[in-house]
Amino acid sequence: MKHTKPLTIATLTALLAALPALAHHSFAAEFDGAKPVRLIGVLTKIEWTNPHSYFYLDVLNAANGSTSHWICEGGGPGALSRRGWKRGDIKLGDQLVVDGYLAKDGSNFIDARRVKLPDGRFVEGGSPGDGAPGDRPSASAHGASAAGAAR
Amino acid sequence: MVAQWCQWLSSTPLSTSIRQSDWWFSIIESVHVLGVTLMVGTIAIVDLRLLGWLLKREPVSSVTRAILPWTWCGLVVMALSGALLFVSEAADAYRNTAFRIKSVLLVAAGLNALLFHRTILRSVSAWDRSPFTPVPARRAAALSLVLWSAIVVCGRAIAYFH
Repeated sequence: MKHTKPLTIATLTALLAALPALAHHSFAAEFDGAKPVRLIGVLTKIEWTNPHSYFYLDVLNAANGSTSHWICEGGGPGALSRRGWKRGDIKLGDQLVVDGYLAKDGSNFIDARRVKLPDGRFVEGGSPGDGAPGDRPSASAHGASAAGAAR
Repeated sequence: MVAQWCQWLSSTPLSTSIRQSDWWFSIIESVHVLGVTLMVGTIAIVDLRLLGWLLKREPVSSVTRAILPWTWCGLVVMALSGALLFVSEAADAYRNTAFRIKSVLLVAAGLNALLFHRTILRSVSAWDRSPFTPVPARRAAALSLVLWSAIVVCGRAIAYFH
């Protein structure tokens, strides 16, 4: 039967067409590089996990005294510990300062690019090579916004 | 029931140590991709022969005889590494839409292969040297290519669902 060949080609083409959206690297898939944010909050939960780590912060809103719950996504344990951030460096109740970018879906979820640890050190929190603003030295066009976010 | 079992699995020392490891997760993940490459790549060769797109002059039986051991190697590597990846994030995987679709597709691909080997391939001697194989054989081959492609896409998509 000659019908199988066109059908197979059509189906494979459809599957391939769906690929670019999925193959997108994680930063652009979930986060908005144009929406930098700084969170200062108290650590309530640590997920030191592959392929991404998650840090839960309670952030106090000084204006009305309310507390909001935020989730910060970081690189996996290997990526973080190679930059000098070990699991024991943070514990529940610590105050962290996290500079990152807001999630596209508007939830209290950010990509943590730069984290100030309790001992005063600053570490890169993001996944390596995920295409976030300022992620590569060559991305100088984004350098200004990344530096702005760090302030 | 299944959810509780996945939750328990996630709390085992093996799961925790892979999930929190600096290197093991990435290593197992890479081995898994290599296993998938070997398995799906060799399956594709047989499927394409059945569709009459390559190795047309080779008897189907000699293609399958040469290829099948490599497919089994790929399957073992893929299944073992895949099981370890699943153990490391069982509770999350259970809730993950892409993982659920992938599981169903894996069963379908397995049944398709089993049916092909148990029924259609039994009569291979009648069409072994023909470049164009019977319709059921080509249908199974096309279905196999589609299912395995979809499984790979779903596997990658797991990272994009929460």
